[in-house]
Amino acid sequence: MNKIVAWIDARFPLTYFIKHELTDYPTPRNLSYWWGFGFLAGIVLVIQIVTGIFLAMHYKPDSSLAFDSIQHIMREVNYGWLIRYLHSTGASAFFAVIYTHMARTLYYGSYRRPRELLWWTGQGLLLLMMATAFMGYLLPWGQMSYWGAQVITSLFKATPVYGEEIVTWLRGGFTVDDPTLTRFFSLHYLFPFLIFGAVVIHLVALHTVRSSNPSGINLADKDNIPFHPYFTIKDLFGLGIFMIGYLLIVFFKPDLFIEAANNIPANPMQTPAHIVPEWYFLPFYAILRAVPDLAGGVVAMAISVLIFAAMPYLDRSRITGGARYRPLYRTMFYVFVIDIFVLGYVGAHPPTGTLKAVGEVCTTIYFLIFLLLPFVSRWEEKFVLARGLPPAVEAMARKEIAEAEGNV
Amino acid sequence: MSEENIKDGADLSRRDFLGTVTAGVAAAGVAAACVPFVSSMNPSSDVLAKATTEIDISSIPPGEDRTVPWQGKPVFVVHRTAEQISAMRASRGGKDPEEDGKRVKKPEWLVVVGICTHLGCVPNKSANGWLCPCHGSIYDNSGRIISGPAPRNLDLPPYHFVSENKILIGKA
Amino acid sequence: MFKFLGFCLMATVGLAHADEAQLKRGAHVAVEVCSACHSLKYIKYNDLMKLGLTRAEVDAMRGDKDIGGPLLSQMAPNDELGMFGIVPPDLSLMAKAREGGAVYIHDVITGFYTDARGQSANHAFPGIKMPDVLMVAQADAAGKKEIDQKANDVSAFLEWASDPQAQERTSLGRYVIGYFVFLTLLLYFLKKKIWRRLD
Repeated sequence: MNKIVAWIDARFPLTYFIKHELTDYPTPRNLSYWWGFGFLAGIVLVIQIVTGIFLAMHYKPDSSLAFDSIQHIMREVNYGWLIRYLHSTGASAFFAVIYTHMARTLYYGSYRRPRELLWWTGQGLLLLMMATAFMGYLLPWGQMSYWGAQVITSLFKATPVYGEEIVTWLRGGFTVDDPTLTRFFSLHYLFPFLIFGAVVIHLVALHTVRSSNPSGINLADKDNIPFHPYFTIKDLFGLGIFMIGYLLIVFFKPDLFIEAANNIPANPMQTPAHIVPEWYFLPFYAILRAVPDLAGGVVAMAISVLIFAAMPYLDRSRITGGARYRPLYRTMFYVFVIDIFVLGYVGAHPPTGTLKAVGEVCTTIYFLIFLLLPFVSRWEEKFVLARGLPPAVEAMARKEIAEAEGNV
Repeated sequence: MSEENIKDGADLSRRDFLGTVTAGVAAAGVAAACVPFVSSMNPSSDVLAKATTEIDISSIPPGEDRTVPWQGKPVFVVHRTAEQISAMRASRGGKDPEEDGKRVKKPEWLVVVGICTHLGCVPNKSANGWLCPCHGSIYDNSGRIISGPAPRNLDLPPYHFVSENKILIGKA
Repeated sequence: MFKFLGFCLMATVGLAHADEAQLKRGAHVAVEVCSACHSLKYIKYNDLMKLGLTRAEVDAMRGDKDIGGPLLSQMAPNDELGMFGIVPPDLSLMAKAREGGAVYIHDVITGFYTDARGQSANHAFPGIKMPDVLMVAQADAAGKKEIDQKANDVSAFLEWASDPQAQERTSLGRYVIGYFVFLTLLLYFLKKKIWRRLD
């Protein structure tokens, strides 16, 4: 065994890699379970890729066969129902995990200097995931699949001058049709591997800047512990809890995330009475609808996703530790989370009367929070420093401020 | 990191009871999780349902043959003439000798899987049996290998006569 | 936490418990009444034997149709289009394709009445094109009760048809969840043990 390892080590840095990234990789010992969601996301990605590859062995990306082939998988392929439900539930699980991962980053200010690139690669991953999920949702070729794709591809009409041409190009036809299905299938198979590559980049960035931690201060060497075995076992325990929840849905409530109308084959001649996107797109969908103008709605929706990338610059406070020592930031965080849930509710229901107004108000709050953050964070900094902080945190903050002002 | 912590990490190689049990249970779970995936690549229930083929033989005159699909494979059903039967009875075939009587249920009907036992090509009908186009194996009218690279006689599918004019292939 | 998981497990035990006799009666209604106009194309005749119907019963239902063939409508789709203006929808996934599932199907079947203009109408599905096959509108109290029973049977059958793996799924699910609860407990104790080294 040792001989084999030595043989490999002479040609490939195996032992070095394991030491550097796992057994010697210093990790803050105070990381809570909220830091385990990145690991979970990695596992869900693997589940999605594996189940997806096996589904693709039986699925037929042809508009006249797609719906039947799903039923073939569900009824005739050995354990096809299991593999399909793992995949369809996995999509929702992926977003639940990633949104929690993002919420942790926002709450603890983990996007701040020097982790901007880490945060942006994560943003890129989110966009890739959204595209993958959207294209995957067309594949069952049910009514909701079809009309979801029809509506979302229509958004590109908002492109100046070439709107119509771009929509037609995306679809490969004048409506969503067989060519659309085939290309979505092709790209839905490709994108997960792009995501996988982006995850590697995300991890390289993480291992360069190292994990943030709930206290916000840079820990002394003695407070770091090796990732393995301490965090491997902690993450695995978290994975166990996650799997129980995920599999309870897969085995006992597998239709939870499948709209009833998607059990009707796609019919280009008839739109279902009420179409909704998947739950993970609902808040953004509500923002799209809150703006009365098509182009305005599309721009608002795009900004609502992309604006997260600006967080390292919008948050101008130099108090570390995220929301922990920052009462105003903490309040804004909770208002933001509640606002997203309300937007999600609005997005799931027809936009009439009160709900329409609620949607508009919540959209305004959504953007206001981002726009006010630069001013609030600076004002809060002064307020918090005047009020007093734990010595270590205050020292870090004062050092950062001094550095920044020295640079000016 | 402190010296102490690094020593702790190195300690890991010493497996304790709880660690071994947990690793064992996890490994068993991973192995069990492979079962549905491997199983999904086996024939699905609709393919298995087509595991038998029924064929009406009343339309095959003596001296003629039909090729019918069974589980996606070609099966040769031959209505042999009296001369062919007597010629086959007189011989024991080539390198894989076998009585003709053991290869048929009724002497006038030969039912064989039409896949060359060499590398899986479908032999073509010739006057005295079959000739495989791929590597020139020659089979007689009992499906026995006479010459060429094929190692065995043509396989016999399980089948039985449902009635005078009907054969069910796939079930003995 | 474990209390909550226990609760989740308990809640699932009651699932998918339509009894065999009801499903068999429902299968008869589906084949003898519904399939005059509706297809059930994802269900094959031999699937019905999984409900406990005997080979002889299924043979009587299928007539000269292939035992491995799907339950198709007895009318050609084109004739149906001429007669009803639409092709009656396939029923294989009906219990999943409508909000309310089996309950909704039951309500549609029993929801027929004669409106003020003397025409057939339906409480659960205004503007329905399906005729009142079981003659709900004309039935007396006893007849209504019998129809209600039939509607229950056939909705239970359609629920099975939309998800034939339900039983297999929940029984396998119990083992899988049991396994993960056990593994997670082990991981929990192992985690405690490993982290104790830091104290």
